[in-house]
Amino acid sequence: MRPATLLFRVAVAGRSMEPTFRDGDWLLVRQLRRPPRPGDVVVAADPRAPERLLVKRVRAVDGDRVTVQGDHADPAESTDSRQFGPIPPSAILGRPLLRYAPLHRFGLVS
Amino acid sequence: MDLRSLIAPRLVAHAHCDIPCGIYDPTAATIAAQTVAKMVEKITGATGGDDASRNTYIRSVAVKEEHAQICKRELLILWTDYFKPEHLEKYPKLHDTFWKAAKLCSKNKQNVDEAAATELQAAVKEISDIFWATKK
Repeated sequence: MRPATLLFRVAVAGRSMEPTFRDGDWLLVRQLRRPPRPGDVVVAADPRAPERLLVKRVRAVDGDRVTVQGDHADPAESTDSRQFGPIPPSAILGRPLLRYAPLHRFGLVS
Repeated sequence: MDLRSLIAPRLVAHAHCDIPCGIYDPTAATIAAQTVAKMVEKITGATGGDDASRNTYIRSVAVKEEHAQICKRELLILWTDYFKPEHLEKYPKLHDTFWKAAKLCSKNKQNVDEAAATELQAAVKEISDIFWATKK
């Protein structure tokens, strides 16, 4: 699924991106119009179920192979490229720009 | 329409492991290993040839068998489903520890052996300690 608008919102479900995002955070996401770079946080289609969206961080880019991982220190808390392998750049839908809720966690995404 | 529903995302972006967190727990294996040790104690201390005593004796053997099997099953679930290559890097003896613990489950099924029962409890504790260390 590819959002129709340049900006779209997602709700984070799960803990694999802690401490960057927590379960229940609301994010404003901008469609990615350039190639992904290591360090980018991205919203991507799950390679195992394309209708499902994931939020992970890009660890490495090697041509058409993008390795993504959760930020959580415990690898057991994240299902990512360590299990399903690299994803193609075309699976990446956007980059979260802003965490807009909850308000006490309001801030730009680094 | 209130503000909240106006600004709420309509999409969910998943950031988790596929299995809900907390589903893995070494407690079941720990209890099973304790039960095996308790049954070995009952079997070795059994006296009396009357029906009631024989019934208790046979039940103790059956429960020992059953819980050694439960222990093995619980350990194998942790080994194959919970632990990941990243854990192995940190605990290089992990495979060996699990293999030996699983073998001890079999040994406790085959024998009435207090030493083997104690060894099984120690092996499960070692795995349990590693498990909780990975949860920190």
